[in-house]
Amino acid sequence: MSYQRTQYFNSRRSSSWSRNQNTVAFVSQVKLGPVAHTIMVALLITVLGLIYLTQATRATGYDYAAQKVDSQIAELNTQKSDLDIENARLTALETIKSSAVASTMTTPEHTSYVSQ
Amino acid sequence: MKLELQKGSRSRILAAIVLIAMAVFVVRLFYLQIIQHSHYVEVANSEQIKRLTIPAKRGVIYALDGNTPVPLAMNQTIYTVFADPQTVENDDKIIDVLKRVAGGNLRPDLKTLLNKVDSRYQILATRITRTQADKIKAENLAGIGFQEGSQRVYPEGGLAAQTLGFVDYSGIGRYGVEGAQNDKLTGTDGLLQSVTDIRDVPLTIGNKNINQPAVNGKNIVLTIDSNVQSYAEQALAEGLKRTGATRGSVLVMNPQTGQVMAMANLPSYKPATFNTVSDPEVFNNPIVSEPYEPGSVIKTLTMTAGIEKNAVSPTATYVNTDHIRVEDSVISNATLGQTGTITFQHALNWSLNTGFVTVLERLGDGSHVTRQARDTLYSYFHDKFRLGQLTGIEVSGESPGIIIPPTDVQGGAVRYATMAFGQGMNTTMIQVASAFSAIVSGGVYHSPTVLAGEVKPDGTYVPDKIEDGMQIVSKSAADQVREMTVKGRSDFFGYTDKQGYMIGGKTGTSQVPKDGGYSKTESIGSYVGFGGDTTAKYVIMVQVSGKDRALQGARDAQPIFTDISNWMIDYLKLQPRG
Repeated sequence: MSYQRTQYFNSRRSSSWSRNQNTVAFVSQVKLGPVAHTIMVALLITVLGLIYLTQATRATGYDYAAQKVDSQIAELNTQKSDLDIENARLTALETIKSSAVASTMTTPEHTSYVSQ
Repeated sequence: MKLELQKGSRSRILAAIVLIAMAVFVVRLFYLQIIQHSHYVEVANSEQIKRLTIPAKRGVIYALDGNTPVPLAMNQTIYTVFADPQTVENDDKIIDVLKRVAGGNLRPDLKTLLNKVDSRYQILATRITRTQADKIKAENLAGIGFQEGSQRVYPEGGLAAQTLGFVDYSGIGRYGVEGAQNDKLTGTDGLLQSVTDIRDVPLTIGNKNINQPAVNGKNIVLTIDSNVQSYAEQALAEGLKRTGATRGSVLVMNPQTGQVMAMANLPSYKPATFNTVSDPEVFNNPIVSEPYEPGSVIKTLTMTAGIEKNAVSPTATYVNTDHIRVEDSVISNATLGQTGTITFQHALNWSLNTGFVTVLERLGDGSHVTRQARDTLYSYFHDKFRLGQLTGIEVSGESPGIIIPPTDVQGGAVRYATMAFGQGMNTTMIQVASAFSAIVSGGVYHSPTVLAGEVKPDGTYVPDKIEDGMQIVSKSAADQVREMTVKGRSDFFGYTDKQGYMIGGKTGTSQVPKDGGYSKTESIGSYVGFGGDTTAKYVIMVQVSGKDRALQGARDAQPIFTDISNWMIDYLKLQPRG
């Protein structure tokens, strides 16, 4: 894009410009009509829309990842609960009483105490 | 050339049609988008926004193993297997897999259920475990789905069943601690509201999303010691077998805190199979819910009132003739022959009714059961020892029992004379044991409790602060009666106890009211006692009964006390005195 001097010269005195300010104005030779403006706005909106869609899709993608992690957490929690229950069953009094170790235990004949 | 649509030309007609069509569209769109805006937003939301309830987990109930919480009631994830008969593809394979994996949990006649093509939902199996569900899922059976649920599991089986209670199929706690503490255990469901995709995956788009997490129920730790509970249940079962009694209860508590260490009852049930119980009476905990005439164990309370009021002392005497007249009634001793001038210690040792009617008389004018005597006994029984009123123990179904006041038309001299030795009144075991605990702990009453604390979500056990007790009778009077029970026990049953410990107790044989009088063939045997080194460390109360069974405190209930007491000394690692 190029610029050229205008054909008109305004006297410095006739203008209200101050000292050392440019006294020459440049005007673009490229003229954009209403159709071009409309197309540019439409393109801009399209670009913005695409950016929004990209972000929204990316966010939704995170939702699926988060859902997957949530499912894993839930699954692991369920497994932990099951293991807790199994642990409680294995250490329950009834289980211990009927264990091989318990069956070999005997009652002490005499107990001695150490004075505190 | 200027182009114009000619009037009546086809172009003009077409333009008019297009204009009208456009106008119709505009009007219609205006109607749909502006006027019907709210309605369609609602419809869209109902399709796109899902509201999911996040179920709160029911709190776990723990007992104590020493000072360590051990789970008594936990939650397990279970699944219901259902079929959509319109989409199932291979009936035989489905039946084969289900029978192989979930044998005992299947509905009968699977083939018929799978062939109900007019239905979209048929339950094939219930309450299957996660492992079973995973195995079925691995088969990729078309038309088969799973619904997740939760159920209570009890790792200790039927231990402390009547203290624990159970959770019914609608998730509500019934009986025991489950019933009494249902609100605390239940928690609050959470809410997840979100736009979801077709697979119900919540998406973050939209501005109406709500994520309100569930607040799980509190994890309760009971004061019940699983070891003491287990031994008490075992000792009670053996005791019933030995005596021929069909019903029995054992209560073990810490007299210094009011904390209940064991509540054993027979017959009992298993909470996991509560639906198989034929007699719902077994769900109740008789220790808190069945008032009865406690009998001679009450004599310790009457003696405390007499000593504190300086009406009698352990060494004071009275003349025993085995019978005593109160108004128009004659009251006799159950054990005859201890006649003559005897001490009140002797009367307690032999459980002589006449001695305690005499104590009551001496609370009045010394020779009659006066109003003053009755008022005094009532104030001790009801106001100080809190008989005939709820103790507030955190187990559902507690019954207050009844102590008839002297102001009542039935609260006359004869009734109060019988109340002095435990008849004519209704109390629960928890009331009597709590009152006895106050006597053996220096006159300090602690309200009985089964709640020890809470296990926080991070797994740490936080014990509750132990409430200070209330001094209801003087330490002097309480200590004198405690020593009387020690002497009474050592004279009769001391040889059965571990030597070097402070162990005392009182027998009780209660007549059973029947047809307006007392049964000649049926009686309830009970024993309340304590044990310790320099202070009382435990109180044990035993009761045995049975239809048409004449059971006695000394013969039938007392040996069960001895069994548990000797075990408690070892369990608590008590050292002998001297």
